[in-house]
Amino acid sequence: MFLLLALLQQIDSTVPVERGQRLEVSTYAGEIAVKTWNRNAVRVVADPDSRATVEIDRSATVVTVRTQRRRGGPSMVDLQITAPAWMALDLSGVYTDVTVVGARGPIAVETVQGEVSVEGGDGLVSLQSVHGSVSLRGAKGSLEVHSVNEDVSVTGSSGEVTAETVNGSVTLSKVDGTSVTATSVNGDLDYDGPIRDGGRYTFSTHNGDITLSVAEASNASVSVSTFNGEFESSFPVTLTETRKGKRFSFRLGTGSAQVTLESFQGTIQLVRPGAARSARDEDHDEDWE
Amino acid sequence: MSDQWSDRLSEYLDGDLTEAEHLAMEAHVEGCRECAETLAGLRRTVMRARSLEDRPPAHDLWSGIAERIGTPARIAAAPRRRRIAFSVPQLLAAGIALAVLSGGSVWLLQPSPLTIARPLVEVPGDAPVTQVGVGTVKGYDAAVDDLERVLAQGRGKLDSATVRILEQNLAIIDRALAQARQAVAADSANLYLNSHLAETMRRKIDLLRQAATLVSAAS
Repeated sequence: MFLLLALLQQIDSTVPVERGQRLEVSTYAGEIAVKTWNRNAVRVVADPDSRATVEIDRSATVVTVRTQRRRGGPSMVDLQITAPAWMALDLSGVYTDVTVVGARGPIAVETVQGEVSVEGGDGLVSLQSVHGSVSLRGAKGSLEVHSVNEDVSVTGSSGEVTAETVNGSVTLSKVDGTSVTATSVNGDLDYDGPIRDGGRYTFSTHNGDITLSVAEASNASVSVSTFNGEFESSFPVTLTETRKGKRFSFRLGTGSAQVTLESFQGTIQLVRPGAARSARDEDHDEDWE
Repeated sequence: MSDQWSDRLSEYLDGDLTEAEHLAMEAHVEGCRECAETLAGLRRTVMRARSLEDRPPAHDLWSGIAERIGTPARIAAAPRRRRIAFSVPQLLAAGIALAVLSGGSVWLLQPSPLTIARPLVEVPGDAPVTQVGVGTVKGYDAAVDDLERVLAQGRGKLDSATVRILEQNLAIIDRALAQARQAVAADSANLYLNSHLAETMRRKIDLLRQAATLVSAAS
């Protein structure tokens, strides 16, 4: 059902929604800012320039908010949206910053050049940017954060976490995950959170350091591999196995969790929770040929 | 790690062992780091295969790549039971092949269940790891070539800053690939180096695929 084609310069429109409907928002350039409220309705406030329109469409399963170029070159529209916290969000753009606060449903975000910042989310939460940092806070479920050229971070979240970037760092802070995977090619990886019995924790970078926070009571079988890097630990470990090359293993407690630490040419460091990270070369040389 | 145990890891993962065998395997894996590591690698490979997106890519973009890889462009969904039959060197081969599949041919694998009835790469069961590691995966280079061509042809459709970022990051991955290949050449039996090379190959395919998707979306 087509509800509104706003040709006016400013729109402020509210449409009723029902549980089970999801919200899809797509724009070309500008910002998508979503916050939540207790009403079963979606409010859209936008101030498009003269070259753009905002379309709001509603079907049985989805409410769609789209910006369209009306004439001339690229347009920029900032969308301020208020939605029920339970509503699943699917937000996309090209030159678009995305901010979400207070959501309690699944969230998917894709942008090309733009920052992504999400607070909340439950279920499948997937955030991607090519050229922009991605940060997720206070989410639970299956959490995926992905960038190409910037840092990614997950804070105060729980569930199964996958964090990946090519040229940036991965910071996982206060993460309570039973399955955690963090990878980068040219960046550091930091994990600060509990290591749960039976959990799987995999950290892999080519040209970066890995800092893993390990509580004293942790039960983990730890496998360390590097080609041209180093290993440091702020507490003593007893190796149970060493293999050709810089590869070795050790066990903490019962060894219940599986921890894999791989850095081709960086330093792998174990620290106690809360311990300051060791001095690190902040001037990460990208030309590390 | 003995062949007696390693050869049965995939059966263990599949739940095909008897209860007694299962318990015996569990006890063995508990004390054998190499088997535990291999088992973890198998699990990661299967998880990666399972996590492949079921969203079909634009057919016109990928059909040529599928042809290059030497596989039919589409396999009808078959509710067959997941079956994995890897030897240890084949595990590495499968990891690299999945890099190709996850990048260019996702439709080849159904979301679930996964069926890999035979090795995806032609590797003799007792082949040394070197035959797997250093770029012998059928179709990988061709798939990369095809995707790079898509990016080259479509770069005019993308913002110059986006193209610059993509190319910078591809260069970063290429440097990592060169270093990983060199390392594997120097220590061909190193499981870590081989899996790291496979993972880096996957990263390149993933990024190229992402670039191709951007080109497609901008068209």
